[in-house]
Amino acid sequence: MGILNNTLPSNIATDAVDGVIGWGRKSSIWPMTFGIACCAIEMMAVYAATFDLDRFGAGVPRATPRQSDLIIVPGTVNAKMAVRVRRLYDQMAEPRYVIAMGACVCGGGPYVKWGYNTVKGVHKIIPVDIFVPGCPPRPEALMDGILKLRDKVGQDEVFRRRSDTAKDLERRYGMIK
Amino acid sequence: MNESEIISRMREAGLGGVGELDTSAADPFVVIEADSLRAAMLFLRDDEACAMEMMHCVTATERKASIEVVYHLCSYEHHHSLTVKVICERPEGGTHDNWRPAVPTVADIYAAANWHEREQYDLLGVIFTDHPDFRRILLPQEWIGHPLRKDYIYPSEHGGIPLELDAIPLYMEGGEEAVAAKKAERPAGEPLNQPPSKYSARPDAGGKAPESSEGKVNNSRDSAH
Repeated sequence: MGILNNTLPSNIATDAVDGVIGWGRKSSIWPMTFGIACCAIEMMAVYAATFDLDRFGAGVPRATPRQSDLIIVPGTVNAKMAVRVRRLYDQMAEPRYVIAMGACVCGGGPYVKWGYNTVKGVHKIIPVDIFVPGCPPRPEALMDGILKLRDKVGQDEVFRRRSDTAKDLERRYGMIK
Repeated sequence: MNESEIISRMREAGLGGVGELDTSAADPFVVIEADSLRAAMLFLRDDEACAMEMMHCVTATERKASIEVVYHLCSYEHHHSLTVKVICERPEGGTHDNWRPAVPTVADIYAAANWHEREQYDLLGVIFTDHPDFRRILLPQEWIGHPLRKDYIYPSEHGGIPLELDAIPLYMEGGEEAVAAKKAERPAGEPLNQPPSKYSARPDAGGKAPESSEGKVNNSRDSAH
């Protein structure tokens, strides 16, 4: 029951188990095979040999949301696509993470004013963990986003109550959960 | 042949409604009346000297007094091309809400025109009569209005998907309580999303922002034909 409710106290046993689980999760992030527009080309470059995302354990894109931990949303999300993005996100199993890649997905980008059809940021539809701005972002930028996500995943608390230290970090950096 | 020779050949064949060649644009064009469009297209395709096998674009332009439908034709065989326009005059008081011009389809003459005509219907609201598969091609089928019209009113949401910059996200950190709190921040009576008037006034079109978006259906729902 304590595990389900996340109310176990922070002690040496739960800390250690959390550390192991977090290390396992962050070292084998499985992203979903998903691309919408031009940012997807940069994302493919990150998967491919030159940048080789497999160095960080995230280089095996899965072809189904059921097996994925991470959805990178690369490209303009319009009204028609937003329904699909939301459905794919809902099909993913917990824990699940979202990277918003590119200016359109971070806040509308070039469509922010006259985009009659564009969702001004995918965070209107699904919760986003990491924003990677750029039009499109360089592969290095996406890799930096994935490394930041790794840090975040590694600090997730599975078994214990959120400590004061974690809350303090969150207050200071906003990003770390 | 150059464009003027093609036009004189069309006249010799007895085609009516063919205007003069206008060379003021980068692509010289000829204006053809809507009633004689299909006969002219059939002639341009089948005549041996014209042999316009390819229609590579159908597009449309909204102007103050009209909507122009533009057809770009070319011939691989003779290496010549022609731009054809059909001008639909705007009736008195014709707006996005009440006016959709009608042009006969050429989708059965040029198969390429099928999707192009659907696109012009989707974005500018040009009705192509007797089109074999007349529905929207890019936007969702239940979309209201035609976005490239100058007096189009921008929607604040579509089917529950927020489309505005400062819309409240469907999901927020903190769950439904946070969303409810965010909604409560808005004064009572104010709509959840921005009223569309903020983005709908386009100075270049002389468009005026509506005074209030409440209780007003701005865009009539589509019905083919």
